[in-house]
Amino acid sequence: MDLDLSQDQRAVLEAVAQLLEQHAGAARAIELDAKGEVDGALDAALAEAGFTDIALGDETGFLEAALVTEAVSAAAGVVSIGAQALVAPAVAGRPLPGPVALTSLTHRGPVRFAAHARSLLLDCGDEARLISLEPGEARPVRSNFMLPMGIPEIDASRGKSLGAGSGQRLRDWWRLALAAEASGAMGAALDVTVEYVKRRRQFGRAIGSFQALQHRLSQCAVQREATRWLVYETAYKGAPSAAAAAAAAYAAAASNQIFAETHQLTGAMGFTREHDLHVWSMRLQALRLEAGGQGGHRRAAAEARWLAG
Amino acid sequence: MDFDWTGEDLAFRRELRDFLADVLPANWEEMSKDGPGSDVQAEFSKSFCPKLAERGWLTQNWPAEYGGRDASAWRHIILGEEMWRIGEPRSSQYMNVNWVGPTIMKFGSEQQKRTHLPPIARGEAFWCQGFSEPEAGSDLVSLRTLALRDGDHYVVNGSKIWTSYVNRAQHCFLVVRSDPESSRHRGISVLLCPMDLPGIEVREIPSVVGDRYFFEVFFSDVKVPVGCRLGAENEGWDVVTYSLAFERVGAARYARAELTLDELAKLAAQRGSLEDPRILEKLGEARALCEAARLLTYRVIDLREKGRPPSADTNVARVAGTMAERAVAELAFEIFGPEALEYGHFAEAHFRLAMTAGVAVGTTEVNLNLVSSRFLDLPRE
Repeated sequence: MDLDLSQDQRAVLEAVAQLLEQHAGAARAIELDAKGEVDGALDAALAEAGFTDIALGDETGFLEAALVTEAVSAAAGVVSIGAQALVAPAVAGRPLPGPVALTSLTHRGPVRFAAHARSLLLDCGDEARLISLEPGEARPVRSNFMLPMGIPEIDASRGKSLGAGSGQRLRDWWRLALAAEASGAMGAALDVTVEYVKRRRQFGRAIGSFQALQHRLSQCAVQREATRWLVYETAYKGAPSAAAAAAAAYAAAASNQIFAETHQLTGAMGFTREHDLHVWSMRLQALRLEAGGQGGHRRAAAEARWLAG
Repeated sequence: MDFDWTGEDLAFRRELRDFLADVLPANWEEMSKDGPGSDVQAEFSKSFCPKLAERGWLTQNWPAEYGGRDASAWRHIILGEEMWRIGEPRSSQYMNVNWVGPTIMKFGSEQQKRTHLPPIARGEAFWCQGFSEPEAGSDLVSLRTLALRDGDHYVVNGSKIWTSYVNRAQHCFLVVRSDPESSRHRGISVLLCPMDLPGIEVREIPSVVGDRYFFEVFFSDVKVPVGCRLGAENEGWDVVTYSLAFERVGAARYARAELTLDELAKLAAQRGSLEDPRILEKLGEARALCEAARLLTYRVIDLREKGRPPSADTNVARVAGTMAERAVAELAFEIFGPEALEYGHFAEAHFRLAMTAGVAVGTTEVNLNLVSSRFLDLPRE
């Protein structure tokens, strides 16, 4: 056991932070959201620097991919980083042309990145299928959740099967990817809220000095920390079903709580597009509903531990 | 980052489980239903702890010079997990190893180390913790029990409350105000007070948590030798905070919650309710909370193993542990319904232990205060 980042892991994070500083950030996310676009430049820069296929490196693996995913999400990158850095290498065994969308036969409603995706991984139950998409194939839909959404035509006879059991593998890695993205977004949402309550004065004092607020933010901090560590351990262990479902279940509940508290504590300002909170908070809700959602993750966590085999 | 146990750590856990299977009586589950402080369990620990000590396991993470084996903090948490999950057969002796001993090592005189550490390492010592007072609970620094210097003695007057394990303690880790003019953090001292001194009176406080669980201790002109003082006079607050950092994650309570959850799933399966999606969901939710508590505790152990100063990570872990224990206890009630109302029922026994989690060892609110100030750096006023 050693729960510090290694020197190499710190170097990866520093390098990705530099890249994100240049290419990502809340302002960029707001600008892209207005146009309904994905961040092609960021996607290219991440690929060019080797971050999207870091999971398959000689010296790096899935934990590094999870760290990168978390960092990109914290910087509000409008790219399908979880699907590209974690899910594709694990499930398809190779990096896939991005953006990569993830969905399942039972899914109803918009899918993240579907309108722009070049690859779609489809959970068909026992197997997963890899489908190549042409631009313009999926119908873009307007969404308020700060990620470009589309509704793809689902055809389980398209593309190629990734083999028996690949469906479970897709669900496991998808859950981990979701949790990693949620971890980054909840950290950023919490950070801007903490800054806000330190600055905002009412009744003659910073509202962050009221214990009623402090305890709620501290509860959020506990959940944010827990999510982070669940992600790291699950990535390190190669996303076993029980751990991945537990991480996603925890992340989903934490996302909801952090959404509610950060918006409550930033008041009306937090609803505006002038304040950055919505860039992360709205995404937390979108992430929470994916891949079976909170209830699905919780049932999967219980099934994997007590009903499997 | 590395989340794997070493081969030696895995082997140790296996050996420990074999040992427990060997030495725990067949009716252990029945014996342990009243918690670590019960008479039955305390009595059992008198033969059990020396057996752990014989194998070098009781204080293995202590330095060799104090009867340990210089083992890692990880080895110590494995022991803690394996003990707590089955109801803590070390009884109150777990706290000697977790924080009483380490605090004496840090602040004690040679004489104090020689007096107190060997009996703890042999598994023969019973301690209690004299912290809370009727008017000093969460606000511990407002404590008023007075120790006035009189030559080579302190004369102690006052009372302590909620003092678990005092009924059989040989010593009390007693926090007093040694400077009557002082207030708050200054003027506090710690006394390693023998419990057989004249003037000490103990009264049980009946509670719904269990029989012989809470006590009140009254000190009337108790003469405690100056040599019993741990650390410098009037600078005892440093000693107290040092001990608390160890105490807050000392008991691996999440391990108990995790095992209880496994049992609950087994019982739910027997009753045909395991495939009820609502029950499955609650089991999964509680499982995630247990995993979170385990990992956050591991982070604290990791920092301790690396010799880093105590941080608010400890408070974060403690809050997460309480959330996990509560979720499991609530679920136990949900699965068993009114059956859980019978004293000693599996669900009832867990509920009773879990109900103190947010209060014992510093309330959740105190932990959240510390997360606010040290982790989030929120302003005081």
